[in-house]
Amino acid sequence: MKTNKEVYKIWAPENIIWSGWVRPVPFIGINENLRVQEYEEFSIPEVLYIKEYQNDTAIILDLPGSSAIKEGLALAKLGYRPIPIYNGTDEQEGSSCLVDNHGIEYSLMLAADVLDQMDFKSDAAPVFLTDSNRMNSQKMSVKIFDNSWDVYSQDLPTPEYLKSHGIDKVIIRSDMIRKDINKIFYKFQKEGIKIYFTEGYEEPKIIKLKNIRYKN
Amino acid sequence: MKLVKIPDDKYQEYRLNLMFDCYKWDPQFLDNNTVAKYALVLTEKEHEELVKITESIDKETIEAENYLNNNLKLAKPLALPTKIYGELKRMNNYESDKHVRLMRYDFHPTMDEKWCVSEVNSDVPGGFAESSLMPNEAIKAIGIEDYTFINFGDILAKAIKEKIKENGTIFFVHCTCYSDDRQVMQYLGDKLKKDGYKIIYGAADHIRFENKKAYSILSGNECEIDAIFRFTPLEWLKDMKPKFWDGYFDTTTVSCNHPIAIFAQTKRFPLIWSSLEKEGLSLENWKKYLPETIEVSKAKGKEGYIYKPACGRVGEKISIKEACSKEEYKEILKDVKKHPKEYLAQKKFISKPLISDDGKEYHVCLGSYTVNGKQSGYYARISHLPRIDSNAADIPVLIERSKKDEN
Repeated sequence: MKTNKEVYKIWAPENIIWSGWVRPVPFIGINENLRVQEYEEFSIPEVLYIKEYQNDTAIILDLPGSSAIKEGLALAKLGYRPIPIYNGTDEQEGSSCLVDNHGIEYSLMLAADVLDQMDFKSDAAPVFLTDSNRMNSQKMSVKIFDNSWDVYSQDLPTPEYLKSHGIDKVIIRSDMIRKDINKIFYKFQKEGIKIYFTEGYEEPKIIKLKNIRYKN
Repeated sequence: MKLVKIPDDKYQEYRLNLMFDCYKWDPQFLDNNTVAKYALVLTEKEHEELVKITESIDKETIEAENYLNNNLKLAKPLALPTKIYGELKRMNNYESDKHVRLMRYDFHPTMDEKWCVSEVNSDVPGGFAESSLMPNEAIKAIGIEDYTFINFGDILAKAIKEKIKENGTIFFVHCTCYSDDRQVMQYLGDKLKKDGYKIIYGAADHIRFENKKAYSILSGNECEIDAIFRFTPLEWLKDMKPKFWDGYFDTTTVSCNHPIAIFAQTKRFPLIWSSLEKEGLSLENWKKYLPETIEVSKAKGKEGYIYKPACGRVGEKISIKEACSKEEYKEILKDVKKHPKEYLAQKKFISKPLISDDGKEYHVCLGSYTVNGKQSGYYARISHLPRIDSNAADIPVLIERSKKDEN
């Protein structure tokens, strides 16, 4: 079995401009806290909403659990560089928690073997992977460990950085646009990045995000 | 003080080791790599000078907070949040020797070849692993044996162990949604776990107080607690509902930090120094190193002052014009105008940048820790801009052994 460092290096190779944004957090537990998910079926789905790689487009996959990792590999086949930005921590030992991050850790490890066999253009556009379950912050009891988390603007490159690398479109692929994603990409939109949305079945459609009140 | 480069061919491995062996889980912020490509090296003379200054200021801080605790009327100009001010009287059972007092003072080299202290992180200073494990990784990468460092984590862990029973339970209070908080807690927790202590990671509302003792109510971890290590700022606790947080103020459970820290945590602390001096306390050393600090209203029309938020953290919302975007600067000034009591005005000092061997300029913020009154290590950040905030890079602090020690 690969160590956490080895798995991380596959996801974040040296000299790839997007590697800095691969958060180490879900990789930390791979050595010590890894829970083998026997029920986890690891198959790469078919992507219906995008036919080919586009150099001027970044994608964000906001999907439940480890679904974005699988779909990220499907997009990797088209040429996109998958960049996991998962940032949720494991719960205190013995406690109930709001978000199960163990499945993500296990999937990152499994997917690394597939990713390791793929070739990418050195400047391949990124597909950012995140977990839409991250905002499950409704606690049934105060005793529960709240490891829900949000995506913040600091977890992603700035619009200026994207534009300086020829990217002026972002596709958000999810069931809905969550508040944290809206907050970040509203600013991107203001900076001239075109925002598209797809639920995964149809071609992405350009959207206009609104400035919603949201306090992280 | 100088910058020593981590060799280019070692840097990627160094950064990876920091992430996976040294709890550096936030190596990127926006477009910025937050792991510096240098180490900051102090001479022994500089280190000795910093120890002396740090401990002299710390002594004054501790005396001031103890005095304020017994004379709460003097604390009114601090303009603490009303909810917190209302709980301060509960601290009348505070005994400093029962708790662990941790602080970090932020030093900056200035253009007139002096040190300036911009503030004290009195309540919940962070940077533990960066100050304890990162220097060792840097020494390995640089490959020069003339450097040494102070292992802050060893000192802090020892101070905690001295206050509680062997194999006791330590509860690490933090915002459990933030991995940035968890990395700080996990470093210290893992260290104490190796020594046989039971470690619980949880949120501030996972603690209840009965007869002034702390108990964990976290699921699967319900038990009495022997020590509270808190990383959730006090001014965040006050927003917790239902209100169980008041117990933190008068608990007899060992605390690091105890809420006594709030007096010096507010950046308005200097505004009451003249009152404290009238009561016979000395703040001579503080006044020597902290730039002049006045009420926002008194800075009106004066040149050379910046505004800082009273409850600011990691350099945010400080109105250093050349370090802010136009939009940010405008926003800060607007907020200062709207809430002048939530800010203070401080005479701007001119930071002297260090120049690296490859000709780049970096401004430095050198945090000097104290644990129970003794200097205990360093945590530093560097930035191209004079304001050191979340965009800055963490840099390990090493001390160059003087030649006389080698003989």
